[in-house]
Amino acid sequence: MNVSSIPLLSIVIFLPLLGAIVVAVLPRDYARTAALGASLLAWIASLMLVVGFSSRDVPNSFQFVETLPWIPQFGIQYKLGVDGLSLILVVLTTTLSWISILASFGPIKERIKEYMISFLVLEVGMVGVFLALDTFLFYVFWEIVLVPMYLIIGIWGGANRIYATIKFVLYTLVGSLLMLVAILATGYAYQAAHGNNWAGAFDFEALRAFAASGGGFDPTLQLFAFGAFFLAFAIKVPMFPFHTWLPDAHVEAPTAGSVILAGVLLKLGGYGLIRFSLPLFPDAAHTFAPLIIVLSLIAIIYGAIVALVQPDLKKLVAYSSVSHMGFVTLGIFVFQPQALQGAILQMVNHGLITGALFLLVGVIYERTHDRTIAKMGGLAGTTPVYAAVFGFFVFASAGLPLLSGFVGEFLVLVGTFTVSPIAAAIATFAMILAAAYLLWMFQRVVFGDLSDFLRGLGHHLTDARPVEILTLAPLGALVVVFGVLPVLVLKLIAPTVGGVLNDVSNGTAMSLAFWR
Amino acid sequence: MSNDVVTIGPLIAAVLVAAAVLLSDLIVPGRRAVATWVALVGLTIVAILTLSVGSGGERVAYGGAYKVDALTTFLDVLFVAIIALTIAFGPDYLEPRDLPVAEFATVLIFAMSGAMLISASTDLLLLFLALELMVLPGYLLAGYHKTDGYSTEGAIKYFLLGSFSSAIFLFGLAFVWGLTGSTRVDEVASELAKIASGSVAFSPGLAMGLAFMTTGVAFKIAAVPFHYWTPDAYQGSPTPVTGYLSVGPKVGAFALILRLFVEALPALKADWLPVIVVLAAITMTLGNLVALTQTNVKRMLAYSSIAHTGYMLVGLAAWAAGRIEGTQALLFYGAAYAFMNLGAFAVVAALQRRAGVTSSLDTFAGLIRREPWLAVLMTLFLLSLTGIPPTAGFFAKAYIILAAVEAGGPVGILAVITMLNAAAAAFYYLRVVVYMWMRDPVTEGSAMSHGPLLWAGLAVTGVLTVILGFFPGLLDAVGRAAQALG
Repeated sequence: MNVSSIPLLSIVIFLPLLGAIVVAVLPRDYARTAALGASLLAWIASLMLVVGFSSRDVPNSFQFVETLPWIPQFGIQYKLGVDGLSLILVVLTTTLSWISILASFGPIKERIKEYMISFLVLEVGMVGVFLALDTFLFYVFWEIVLVPMYLIIGIWGGANRIYATIKFVLYTLVGSLLMLVAILATGYAYQAAHGNNWAGAFDFEALRAFAASGGGFDPTLQLFAFGAFFLAFAIKVPMFPFHTWLPDAHVEAPTAGSVILAGVLLKLGGYGLIRFSLPLFPDAAHTFAPLIIVLSLIAIIYGAIVALVQPDLKKLVAYSSVSHMGFVTLGIFVFQPQALQGAILQMVNHGLITGALFLLVGVIYERTHDRTIAKMGGLAGTTPVYAAVFGFFVFASAGLPLLSGFVGEFLVLVGTFTVSPIAAAIATFAMILAAAYLLWMFQRVVFGDLSDFLRGLGHHLTDARPVEILTLAPLGALVVVFGVLPVLVLKLIAPTVGGVLNDVSNGTAMSLAFWR
Repeated sequence: MSNDVVTIGPLIAAVLVAAAVLLSDLIVPGRRAVATWVALVGLTIVAILTLSVGSGGERVAYGGAYKVDALTTFLDVLFVAIIALTIAFGPDYLEPRDLPVAEFATVLIFAMSGAMLISASTDLLLLFLALELMVLPGYLLAGYHKTDGYSTEGAIKYFLLGSFSSAIFLFGLAFVWGLTGSTRVDEVASELAKIASGSVAFSPGLAMGLAFMTTGVAFKIAAVPFHYWTPDAYQGSPTPVTGYLSVGPKVGAFALILRLFVEALPALKADWLPVIVVLAAITMTLGNLVALTQTNVKRMLAYSSIAHTGYMLVGLAAWAAGRIEGTQALLFYGAAYAFMNLGAFAVVAALQRRAGVTSSLDTFAGLIRREPWLAVLMTLFLLSLTGIPPTAGFFAKAYIILAAVEAGGPVGILAVITMLNAAAAAFYYLRVVVYMWMRDPVTEGSAMSHGPLLWAGLAVTGVLTVILGFFPGLLDAVGRAAQALG
């Protein structure tokens, strides 16, 4: 069968939606199985993408492209396509989705149907964001992500869940609504520059070609549009000082919600910056780069320092996310090949490792109904398997060589060094801090005598169950594979990295000419 | 039949339907369902007539005072839909309170005939008469629950300020008539074009006329600072009436604005554009800020409807700044807003089926457990009112923003203000979602049974709210209507 003739991308996006409908129709006893089945099917479909994807080294080319007219009056299309960058993020999403659904089997007991429907709709939005090649369509998927996550935190979250979920939604909406203005403004600018013809005005490839040719978008428009896009993406990443929703959302979200939040939702921001902000507004990207680098460095150091003093396990992991995602934005905005490769790798790794850490926190929380580090201690003796797995991911997060966390941060640092040694030095300092907060936390939780609190739980304190291991094993395997053979990912993303940097450097040339 | 009679055929049919509803109630008194069904079947016939008269291209009747074009057809079908849905939502609320159903339907259909007359009037005097014909039944409806103090209070406020604003409007019309020597829209437009081109001097009287007319219209659409009657009139009225008042007269008044400002006064748009820009900005901002503090859902929706007026004015501003997409977006917004807002009010009305149930936020607490379908539908309407894709409300907002961005300049800044307002609005819309999904019920109440008409109406509004954005026909229709307007 000819693979290119079937709309595989649409299948990956809409299989979960079909699953959501099935869950809605079936009795609640089947909700878990049906949801898991749908997410596994989507996962398999995404793996078929990997198989069918040809890693030819053509910059800026998309595969499996599907184009349908949607709102022809304004040239808006249903256009999907995949390149190396979106491919790995889609696979990350589909993988974490079924893992999250499986991990929810035990902890979620109430309103399981609504929960599974929310999760599957969430998957539709997330995969759609990564695959959309039409800016309007991209926005639609971007906003679709919001509602299910709002419900997941708000219904199945912790004590302070309503505050956390409203904060999450309002932060995200403020950014994204302004992004809509920018999307429409760039579309109109394209239309005006093409003889008032709307064709292609929201087509990402056409927009990118326009940005790379001649003067690209008007410099003033670039500044405003970049600002609006950046605000939306920076809130999602989240960059300092837009990060304050993150600790609340993470602490209150149910375990699987945290996994998806950290594993995929934060990546939407990084993806948006690489896919849209840099190629479409290269001049503005250069103008803003110094500021963004400084904010990234602040995020890296600040996140690590705040993580150091957190008494709550989940909050510690949440702040470590701020720090780790700082490496991503740093790597993107030094406009350097190794750094950009590192940034993308760091996104994947952070998704795997932090996702796993949240799962592990969830495992202990399910038994103790507590996440306070001070109450833990001595888990190594009673739950050795759990302690070992926990240790593995803690070391991966701290950036131990041969595990994937190391490669991403290392590449970002190397790339940054060639541009700004001082920035690299500051960021390197954070790696020491990371080792400090992670290992100190690990020591307090796992080593020593069994704490009185845990002793009081008696036989309730069981070791990791097989299903819990099953959710963690694929993540662990990928962490090792990407740690030993990062070239697997690097080869996939090389054309994207080359293309994006080419677009941005065009910007430099133009902006220099402009300033002269 | 003469051309004139054919052209106003749908209007005649509408009046006949109203009479038929009354007759049916006379013949089979007490059978409320009969009156409702006569009304719905009659409205279907009116809609079919409207479409067939409109399909023949532009028609002019009565020496140019009455014109049926694509705009008329679009608006008339929308009016019929609004009235039909309101009639479908009515009985569930009215019957438990012993309020008559047949009169409700009749008065609504009379109001509709006024709105239909607005959309076809090309004469200023006729426009005024049509406006009065549309709003007078509204005063009646606001006070429909005559033993309820709030209903009476709201009706009196509505009536006093409404007739006051009509007088102001008429006063303005008189100035324009006096200075241009005509009440025909096209003749007024050409006279004003002479003034705008400088061949005839611009007199202070014209400025006053413009100011008075703008004020009068601003009252009707509840633009800030002429909105004070809205919250009380909306909160006091029976809930299905509130739904109608927040949609019907508003869309009708916008029809008036299109015929008046866009067709009769385009030559002066440089003069009224700044006013509209400022009105739009303060209307949406104030409406949203006050809505934020409301704990009564009905009152919250009342203030939020003020904010939606502001969004629609952005479309008008974009038109005045030279973009035909502005009126197109305005019409699309009107349609999307009509269905999502009617749906939201219908859910509130359905919850109040048991007399004595208030529309406070507590009524919505834990609704997903008690009445999951109503909760899901309400969530859909609220998301659409917020402007979350892929609902109709999102597309409506996107088209408004697109038109504003195209217009650029001060209207472009309005686009940003609109979006910041939408984010603020998300807070109070989503608060209702929080109550429905994330809180436990305050009162233990069993699920109520709702009539089939209510469910049918909710199904229609719900489906339209989901698919309107994906349905290319609507965009074509508003495009044609905007073209007809020029």
